[in-house]
Amino acid sequence: MQLQDKYRIAILSAYALGLHGFESLLPSPIPWLRLGLANIITITTLFLYGTGAAVTVTLIRVVLGSLFAGTFPGPAFILSLGGGLASALVMGSIFSVAPRLFSAIGLSIIGALFHNLVQLVIAYFLFIQKIEAVLLITPLMVLLGTLTGTANGAVSGLLIKNLKISGQKVQNVD
Amino acid sequence: MNLRILLNTTTPADKVLFSLLIIVSLSGYLFADKLLPENPSVRIEVNGKPVYILRVTENRTVPVKGPHGYTYVEIKDQRVRISGSPCANKLCVQQGWISSGALVCLPNRVVVTIGKQTEENMPVDAITG
Repeated sequence: MQLQDKYRIAILSAYALGLHGFESLLPSPIPWLRLGLANIITITTLFLYGTGAAVTVTLIRVVLGSLFAGTFPGPAFILSLGGGLASALVMGSIFSVAPRLFSAIGLSIIGALFHNLVQLVIAYFLFIQKIEAVLLITPLMVLLGTLTGTANGAVSGLLIKNLKISGQKVQNVD
Repeated sequence: MNLRILLNTTTPADKVLFSLLIIVSLSGYLFADKLLPENPSVRIEVNGKPVYILRVTENRTVPVKGPHGYTYVEIKDQRVRISGSPCANKLCVQQGWISSGALVCLPNRVVVTIGKQTEENMPVDAITG
């Protein structure tokens, strides 16, 4: 890994961490409803620097985010880690196999979907153990995840476009 | 307008995925109640205070302590009966198996109700109780 890549990953992780922290301050009508703002940075990283960078940024964000929030090895951390890693890996593999199949919005929806599904599976095995409860809540989570995923994807799309344009105007600044 | 440019960059796969997920999750959300029929529960009260809330799907017999001794409530095959009671006339035992409604042993102050535990079919409400 080159020094430049390290700088990029550090800065992107900082952005993701900032959004992650900001999101936890927002009041939410449903306790488990999260906007997944940090996913904006994951997708941007994926489009600009590839799967490895995206997974690294997600890992740094999850670990540092839970350290800062004081939930480090607890259930919230396990849920966050599982969801974050799964969505980054799935988005990364789809993007590397077929980069033109989905735009940022489509990838963001897929990321949100896998984030939710993996968290539900983890929650089922670790905490709830009641399949009825999980099945009842799954459609609602998928629906909300698709909506927030679309919004995040749209923001990522704009971000990627503008970053690419500014990267072309000013070359080799970083 | 930036948003329009963004809409143009979405691929057909995006749109298919979005519509599919919205339709599947919406229909799942709307029909979830019907797909998963809520099993009625058995609620056992002594002196108006709930002491047990059990699922009808698990077969078991529970002893319930009342002022006169133990009343035995048996749950089997989604039905419930009072199988033994310390009271004199044994009206509750004679009532036999029920799958909805209530079994009452007045001397021993035991009330067993079976059904969905909603406001309407609660045996006693705050006013009449």
